[in-house]
Amino acid sequence: MSMSEKTIWDKIAELDIRWIYLLTIILIVIPVVRPLGIPILVSEPVKDFYKTIDELPPGSVVAVSFRGSLGLLDEQEAQFIALWKILFQRDLKVIFYSPTADGEIILDMHLGKKVRPEDYGKKYGIDYVRLGYAPIGEPGEAAFALDIRSVFPTDYKGTPLDEIPMMKNINSWKDIDLLIFQYTSCTDVEIAIRQWVVPYNMPVLTMTLGCCGPMAAPYYPKMIKGFLSGSIAGAELEIIGGVPGPGAAMTDAKNLGIFGLIVSLILGNLAYWGRRLSKEGGE
Amino acid sequence: MAEVFIKRDLPLVLIFIIGILVIIEFFFPHPALSAIKAELGTWTVVIANVSIFLGLFYMSYAQYRLLQRQKTLSGYVYFITPFVALCLFFIGAAFPGYTSSPQYQWLYQNIYRAQVAMYVSLPLFYCYYAAYRAFRIRSIEALALMLGGLLYTFRQIPLFTYLCPPLHPIGEWVLLVPNVAGGRGAVICVALASIVVGLRTLVGKEVTTIEVR
Repeated sequence: MSMSEKTIWDKIAELDIRWIYLLTIILIVIPVVRPLGIPILVSEPVKDFYKTIDELPPGSVVAVSFRGSLGLLDEQEAQFIALWKILFQRDLKVIFYSPTADGEIILDMHLGKKVRPEDYGKKYGIDYVRLGYAPIGEPGEAAFALDIRSVFPTDYKGTPLDEIPMMKNINSWKDIDLLIFQYTSCTDVEIAIRQWVVPYNMPVLTMTLGCCGPMAAPYYPKMIKGFLSGSIAGAELEIIGGVPGPGAAMTDAKNLGIFGLIVSLILGNLAYWGRRLSKEGGE
Repeated sequence: MAEVFIKRDLPLVLIFIIGILVIIEFFFPHPALSAIKAELGTWTVVIANVSIFLGLFYMSYAQYRLLQRQKTLSGYVYFITPFVALCLFFIGAAFPGYTSSPQYQWLYQNIYRAQVAMYVSLPLFYCYYAAYRAFRIRSIEALALMLGGLLYTFRQIPLFTYLCPPLHPIGEWVLLVPNVAGGRGAVICVALASIVVGLRTLVGKEVTTIEVR
């Protein structure tokens, strides 16, 4: 065999990666065109997430720190829509605030359009309030916990909080029964831990991307009562909460898309080990 | 001398006073101290809001510097594009309803969202390329990393848990047992290191805190 002759391992190693890209795109599109409808199992963090909300006494106040990202919405939209429905189905007072500009836009898209609070008998200012967007970061989260009005003196429409019936007796962490902390930057989970759990022992639930789940897990179940990570958790929440939504379709697209990664891993390692073993065999 | 005081000594004194106040409040949550902490938090929010305009200024300056280096047609296009986008969004937010106005929402949905979604989606292909080119199982550690990653990934994919039901509890075990053990260890290490950095900052020994050394 001449030196220039390529072995099968060389050919695998030099495969044009664009074939794998093409395969991935086709595999992602298939379930979108023709849903697979594969059953989904509900995991423990999602069960605990739902249970924590379900066991709240009537009239409890839930604060939603909503750090949504429009670019990553497809990964989390199922979580959001399922959660809004679950919250509005219950006798709870919900405060939404957005430390990201995108968060407020997503709430605009969802509340009143994809999920109509009126359909659940909920009224703005009585059952739920939107405080709007402020780039508060972690220090602002601490300030919010101590004094809501110091960060958000008005709601998103500019109405002073004192003029909103629901907010009359809600001033600080002492008046909040549960914090739902949504984020897209994996280490942001620690903001909730540092500013809500450690100082006030506040019950906290978190919602994040699939890749951030492993960084939320170390705080579960003692500091975080439950967490949602990725579109699969959104689909699980839809199932356990009995609130059908887009989660199943989102998760379906992932079913086959992952094969591109597996094929890449297998081919890359086949080429590596094939070349290495054939070289060692030759020597 | 005065410049050194303003740029080095004054920030250090402020950092020390504010840092000590916040630490004391954590251990002794007296209402007066809590009120000071809340006020400081509000100031931080104000500073963060102002820093948006500072960011705008720096962005404009950086764009101007880039244009100085590349005075070509493409250079002018790169220079003008962010400002056109900025103006578009300002105009969108000027309609009744401000950022909730249909005009602003349209811009956000059809320009910003599409662009960010594209930017966020591209790494999928880089991941596959990296898996193909770089993720070689050369050692037992690499094998453990790949198995852990794959088991967690398989747990997230209903097709795999449907075809092989034990993958769900195994993936969950990987997430909630070895991952938690390692994750907690890492968090504790980071916390201890943060205490060291925090103490060095408080006493002015952390050279990265201030501009003038």
